[in-house]
Amino acid sequence: MDNGTSNSASENETITLKSCDGIEFHIDARIANRYTLLNNWNGGESACIPNVNGKVLEKVLEWCEHHINDPQLNCGDDDSRRRNTIIEEWDENFLSCDQDMLFEIILAANYLEIKPLLDLGCKTVANMMKSKSPEEIRSAFNIDNDYTPEEEEQFRKENEWAEDY
Amino acid sequence: MIKLPNECYYMIFNNFQNNSKSLFSCALVNRQWCRIIIPILWSEPEYHFKDIRLIKILLLMLKVEEKALLVPYKINFQRHTNPLFEYTNYIKSVGYELYSGVKKFLGNKKYQKNINEVENAIKCSLIAMILRTGKNLKYLYLDEIICNKIIIEKLYENTTITSIKLYDFNDKFKPKAINELVKILYKNSTLTSLNLESILFGFIELKTLLEAFYENTILNSLSLCIEQIDTEEGKMLATFLSKNTTLTSFNLCGYDKHWFFSNNFGLIGGIAFANALYKNTTLTSLCLWNNKLGPED
Repeated sequence: MDNGTSNSASENETITLKSCDGIEFHIDARIANRYTLLNNWNGGESACIPNVNGKVLEKVLEWCEHHINDPQLNCGDDDSRRRNTIIEEWDENFLSCDQDMLFEIILAANYLEIKPLLDLGCKTVANMMKSKSPEEIRSAFNIDNDYTPEEEEQFRKENEWAEDY
Repeated sequence: MIKLPNECYYMIFNNFQNNSKSLFSCALVNRQWCRIIIPILWSEPEYHFKDIRLIKILLLMLKVEEKALLVPYKINFQRHTNPLFEYTNYIKSVGYELYSGVKKFLGNKKYQKNINEVENAIKCSLIAMILRTGKNLKYLYLDEIICNKIIIEKLYENTTITSIKLYDFNDKFKPKAINELVKILYKNSTLTSLNLESILFGFIELKTLLEAFYENTILNSLSLCIEQIDTEEGKMLATFLSKNTTLTSFNLCGYDKHWFFSNNFGLIGGIAFANALYKNTTLTSLCLWNNKLGPED
């Protein structure tokens, strides 16, 4: 397995990334080398990352920097990573932000194809939903119920086998 | 709330793969979430197949030709509108739990005289329906219902199943079941794994199966349980292994009710086996539990 430090960039090398609202970040080039899409926006003064604003990009890059020495997982390891429901303390604290920011981080990680951060964000949201009733989830995430009472009843009837455990 | 794309919601809900209660709650939040969750919830119901409520819902999805199998037994169906989804589309794997669920479903009914017949009719109708609708079905557990015409026809047409486990034949079904299995092996082009380790094969049956295996170039995993193989039969198996170029995993389990070595290949059979393994270039996993590959005592 590649330990993630064997890429060509050296420790002192930096690159510049610009968020969609024009904020510049000078980051360790090894981060950009790890995540292809970050690297795609390196190399031009006017180059900026569309769709990701400075506030969110700062958080994403903070996460990437903290995990710079993590082993890089192969495609086949994806499932085992997802099945692992334990979230490390640093990551848990990192994602203890407001809900909008958490969702923005997920969107950015998805857009920039930073899979470990995307998994982590999704796991965090899943943990927020776990053991909650539909009403509690709707209220926690400010979602409207668009079922008709008949549809809801039919869904319950057809899937009641899943309700108990 | 900031809207996420469906693929992100899918990843969130996928964390509940083994937590159907959470999936159930999330699916009731709104219609969008429900559409994303149903394929996850129904992909591997596994032990939920033992739940009578699930068996009853599955029975409501039968089409006329599948219901026809149940007509002689006067099984009553509840009145129900069309299901919200074609749930069985999403099922990836059907294990023994479905059969246990059918048994439980019949537990309270009064069919004592022909209980096995009724049980098999329900199993056939459900498996036929899952084979008809299951666009994602990969693994299927079958018993003697493999001999039923409707199941055989659906298996011939199937292009999704990659793994079959056959289990628990009554001896009177064995010759027909093997016959059908052989036909499936000739016709099916997706089956890569076959587990027959719960069925005891004799020499003639083994010979029939090996002829089909010779022609099949798809199968890469095979588990067999064979009783009382001697030197000649061992040599036959060895020849097969030396010529086969697709199997990567082979499990040959000897059976003996006293837990002694069931199969005694003898010195000649053992040498033939060793030579076959020397020639074989594809096997990466081999289990020869309860077989003796050496000189006679």
